[in-house]
Amino acid sequence: MNTTTVVDKQTKQTNPNLKKVKTSNGIKRTASLILNVFLFLLSATCLFPIIWVAYSSLKTQKEFSLNIISLPTQFHFQNFIDAIEITNMGTLLFNSTYVTVISVVLTLVLGFVTAYVLSRFTFKGRAIVYTLFLLGMLIPIHSLLIPIFALFNSVNIANKWYTLIFPNVAFNLPIVIFLIENFIRTIPKELEEAAYIDGSSMLKTMFYIILPICKPVLATALVLSFLHTWNEFPFALVLINDQNLRTIPVGLANFTSSFTVNYPQLMAALVIAILPVVIVYLVANKQIIKGMAAGAIKS
Amino acid sequence: MKSSALRPKWYVIWGLLLPTILLYGFVVIIPLFNSIRYSFYKWMGGPLNNFVGLDNYSRLIHDDEFWGSFQHTMLFVVLCILGQIGIGFLLAIFVNSKLAKFQSFHRISIFFPVVVSAVVIGFIWSIIYNKDVGILNWVLQSFNLDNLIVPWLDDPKYVMYSVTAPIIWQYIGLYMIIFLASLQSIPQSLFEAAEIDGASGWKKTIHITIPMLNGTFLVALMLCIAGNMKAFDHIFVMTGGGPGNSSMLMSLYAYTMSFDRMQMGYGSAISIGMLVISLTIIGLSRKLLGGNQS
Repeated sequence: MNTTTVVDKQTKQTNPNLKKVKTSNGIKRTASLILNVFLFLLSATCLFPIIWVAYSSLKTQKEFSLNIISLPTQFHFQNFIDAIEITNMGTLLFNSTYVTVISVVLTLVLGFVTAYVLSRFTFKGRAIVYTLFLLGMLIPIHSLLIPIFALFNSVNIANKWYTLIFPNVAFNLPIVIFLIENFIRTIPKELEEAAYIDGSSMLKTMFYIILPICKPVLATALVLSFLHTWNEFPFALVLINDQNLRTIPVGLANFTSSFTVNYPQLMAALVIAILPVVIVYLVANKQIIKGMAAGAIKS
Repeated sequence: MKSSALRPKWYVIWGLLLPTILLYGFVVIIPLFNSIRYSFYKWMGGPLNNFVGLDNYSRLIHDDEFWGSFQHTMLFVVLCILGQIGIGFLLAIFVNSKLAKFQSFHRISIFFPVVVSAVVIGFIWSIIYNKDVGILNWVLQSFNLDNLIVPWLDDPKYVMYSVTAPIIWQYIGLYMIIFLASLQSIPQSLFEAAEIDGASGWKKTIHITIPMLNGTFLVALMLCIAGNMKAFDHIFVMTGGGPGNSSMLMSLYAYTMSFDRMQMGYGSAISIGMLVISLTIIGLSRKLLGGNQS
């Protein structure tokens, strides 16, 4: 062991040749420059389309068609007023918001309880329950569009204010359950045993001792289910007919089909549609990035 | 001593699971079986009384439109694997490099498209591809590359590539983050040892980084296949599967057949076909690429 380090030191001492070091520094600097320029170009490619849409939404239609790339000469907020009116954006925002809030809360509560039971207790049928949830992550959800549409219509729960909560919660549950279940497994059981000895009931232990420990994984689950629900499209498209119950993605999809395209106006609608997500992302990008990566790897 | 709280009675356990199981069973499990049942009927959405046996499936096997959509889906998934995983991996290496500056800025901006709704991304890219107001043609013109301009979304020859590009673009950030996370978990001592032995940057990448990330590649691949078999929203918005059927994916074809042409029995058969194909591909790739990974 000692001899090898000695040899290393010797070669290091004989090797240094000032010229060589200098050129390799030069190469390093050029490489660093190229790499950084390249990375900035890439970042720009990811941001620019959305920035372009944002500032173009403030131009008049004429100004936009004359020069698509220039910045607006003055802010033409009329596009936003028109877009809000045409798409009925107030209603869309309201619907998307309450559907998302209720779905996310339900997902987290049901997901936590289910994950706790699955991770802590052994019982008959546990493997079957587990497999069913696993199945839910593998089946392409579009293969369920028709039967869900038929079932919801036959029991008369399609096209209601609460309709979309069902598929949103059900399709968010599997990944949320697996995330939380994995996390609870890392919590030592002694914690609960101690609590029981102190006379804590099961529900109390679950909600007052385990739940607070699960905060980080619940944050991940929150991020994932918020984004899935807010952006969900196919079920909202198929299960909702009533204009007053539509969510943002479906409202947008209907926007272009009903009017001759006024691009700055469409862009204004797009800006309003992504604004909530952008704000959330600006505030919590660290948690979102971490959460989505964790969710992706676990699935 | 082991109280009822540590080993609860069976009815307590099932009582706790009941709400989840009821909801999940109602939305996922029952429809799954119904879908199989519907696929044996000629059904337009009214009463279910025209049993046709396996007719829908024999039609499916001879349906050129369906196999066309199957081919498009396969091409699409392969392009997404190359694009999302390939570019995502390279970017992770670049961003992770000691030479890179403003790493967190790059991470945040490259990841940003991931959180935007697919419908909005679809709209933004249909504007980007637009022949009059699209930014893509504007860029090509400013570099004097007018001869490269094609009707991006209107030419059956190019449309599959045009609709795939935005989806690759949107999710590169997700794969970059996945690779970054596991890059940072490789012990630094390995690289230091290699440096002492005189390994260059590329040698380190090939001989240390890539082998150490084997498991991550597998996870990314599974995610990429399963995720992109589900693609629907972007293409629905950009082309609706057209022109003709030239950008029709299986998911879009099942939707169009069921909700535009109202052939719900046959649409169910398509859905089941799609389900079987998806599960087979996911299962096969898992087997082929080392089945010991969970």
